[in-house]
Amino acid sequence: MINAVPLALYAGALVAYAWHFAQRNPIVGRSASTLLIAAALAHTFVIGMQTMEAGHVPVGGATSAISTFVWLLALAYLYTEMTTDERAMGVFILPLLVALQAIPAIRPGVEDRAAVLQGPLFGVHVSSLLFAYASFALACVIGITYVLLFKEIKAKHLGFFYARLPSLQVLDRMNQRAIVIGWVFLTIGMIVGAIWALQARGGYAAGDPRVQAMSLQDPKIFVALVCWFVYSFELFAARRIGWGGRRAAYLSAVGFAIVLLNFVPISYFLTKSHNF
Amino acid sequence: MNLLLVGISHRTAPVDLRERVDFQVRGVADALRSVAGRGSTREAVVVSTCNRAEVYVACDDAAATRADLVAFLSEFHGVQASDLAPHLYDVHGLDAARHLFRVAGGLDSLVVGEPQILGQVKDAHTAAAEAQTVGPVLNRLFHSSFAVGKRVRTETGLGSGAVSVSYAAASLAKKIFGDLRGRSVAVVGAGEMGKLTALHMKSHGVHAVTIVSRTMAHAARTAEAIGGASASPWDELDTVLGAADIVITATGAATPILTRSHVEAVMRPRRNRPLFIIDIAVPRDVDPAAGEIEQVFLYNIDDLQATVRENLARRSSEVARAEAIVGEEVERFGAWFRSRGAIPTVVALRQRFEDIRRAELERLDFKLSTLTPDARARVDEITHLIVEKLLLTPTEQLKSIGDSDTVEAYAEALSRLFDLTEPPVARGTQPAELRGGKVEAFPRNRSRSPR
Repeated sequence: MINAVPLALYAGALVAYAWHFAQRNPIVGRSASTLLIAAALAHTFVIGMQTMEAGHVPVGGATSAISTFVWLLALAYLYTEMTTDERAMGVFILPLLVALQAIPAIRPGVEDRAAVLQGPLFGVHVSSLLFAYASFALACVIGITYVLLFKEIKAKHLGFFYARLPSLQVLDRMNQRAIVIGWVFLTIGMIVGAIWALQARGGYAAGDPRVQAMSLQDPKIFVALVCWFVYSFELFAARRIGWGGRRAAYLSAVGFAIVLLNFVPISYFLTKSHNF
Repeated sequence: MNLLLVGISHRTAPVDLRERVDFQVRGVADALRSVAGRGSTREAVVVSTCNRAEVYVACDDAAATRADLVAFLSEFHGVQASDLAPHLYDVHGLDAARHLFRVAGGLDSLVVGEPQILGQVKDAHTAAAEAQTVGPVLNRLFHSSFAVGKRVRTETGLGSGAVSVSYAAASLAKKIFGDLRGRSVAVVGAGEMGKLTALHMKSHGVHAVTIVSRTMAHAARTAEAIGGASASPWDELDTVLGAADIVITATGAATPILTRSHVEAVMRPRRNRPLFIIDIAVPRDVDPAAGEIEQVFLYNIDDLQATVRENLARRSSEVARAEAIVGEEVERFGAWFRSRGAIPTVVALRQRFEDIRRAELERLDFKLSTLTPDARARVDEITHLIVEKLLLTPTEQLKSIGDSDTVEAYAEALSRLFDLTEPPVARGTQPAELRGGKVEAFPRNRSRSPR
């Protein structure tokens, strides 16, 4: 149940961020950030403990991967908050952190790493993809806030979000940056994964049915490729046909919905190749 | 010690009188020296803005000081006292504190919640500190008022939202584009309204302003009036619109000059770069349907006025919260101010005890003279410590009393019990008070030296 400690701290931070968003009290805002930093530190400690216990970074199974993803997303969000001095996004990110962190808190323990999952390429594959997903999560949240603000300005009803969010331009730029970073890591992660699978299939893991199932017919791999196309299109559309702003924001949301689908239900129930 | 405020403001005096009573003309420092020179006040601060001229003082006799301050205002500004009298207000005691706190919080401003006033109150305090006319009371009062201003700004929405049309347009532009520096503005029409809005945008740092008018000469003249702006002929309208981020339309045309399809055509080569159109013309210059185009934000004068009204309404709903903060801070200041009423008694009581100690030491001098100088010093020290210990609790108790009636009753009782008939603090011995009511003990080196 060691994962419950960061979960509780994330939940506390969520309450503080929501309170700050509604009341805009600077003291509450600072407490919210402090709670989130505490949560991230506790989470770092938990992952460190599990690493020492298992003798490797716990990213081999779906549950540990989710925990690591939450940790990365918290760090990525804290980085954006500190560099932009903008706390409004916290109230949108934290629910995701709390919801996902609930999974490792309910299913404790680190899965034993399957024997076939070895080599430096495997580590690069998993960490790149987790980092890409964290970037896409940020992009999605930024996109949602963009749409909320866009609608208020268009409707000429300058209210709740108008007073709290940064400008459309800033949100658009943050979204683009998050997508570019995510896309680069998604690409690296997928290529490295493919190389690893080819090596493993022809070599030490020739007998493992999961490694043999690693093809485009596997839902996990197929959906990842769909993601890659969605984000590639978004990058292309923003630069070539002026699909910035609201359309890019919608695409970010769609893209991350697919990522999440791939990350949780497909990992647990559907994939034949990635069920470690 | 009493608090007193005498002044005029936009609530009581017309602008021509306010102009004549403006302290900026001769300088606040001059005024402070002049007030201090009259001798009726102990401390003084002059708050002077275009909407108010107020003198805050700490004094002994409020009625006499009030009369003297009215005379001062009339003499200093060369305004007949009879002209001034109907517009002057005077506020006493904690009500003066409440008044200052409301001023600093922006509650007494012409536009409620405007942010400049806090800086002006701070400047007033700084000027008085430099002229050395502030003492402990006004220092505390003004620092409390800064706290009020800060709390109102951070804890309420009193200062939020634009309350003028051009400010509303600029803040909308900032919400769309972020920083306005590097953005370009096109003004369609060479009229006064367009010029004013463009000037306002310019003050927010836009880098280029282009004027387009049907008459090139008008455009050139307006561009010159704005300064650093350029003019373009009417047939280059589409090029100018294509390059601009913000378009202000203010022509006298009877029918819309920009239709939806026209704006669509302008947007196509922009690749959906956002376009903010501010239509301040009546009748409107831009077809409202143009606002439906993706990445086009169209606001006309009515929309802007509606947001201003909304902001004003929101501000007035925040007034109660701001007033509550003022009330809390008045309470806090009042507790401190009332506890100061005990200080003269404390000083007198200590003086009394010290006198007794000294008298006894002198009376017993012949017995002590046989002692070594060291032992005599020890005797002096011990008696001093005994007096200090005896007085410690009563002093603390007196200072912690929060209401003036109780302070008075205690002071009365102590005066009778210890026969504190002499006026405890004569005028001009204020430094004793500044040291927090501590009267330095019997000069010990003197008792040590006689041999």
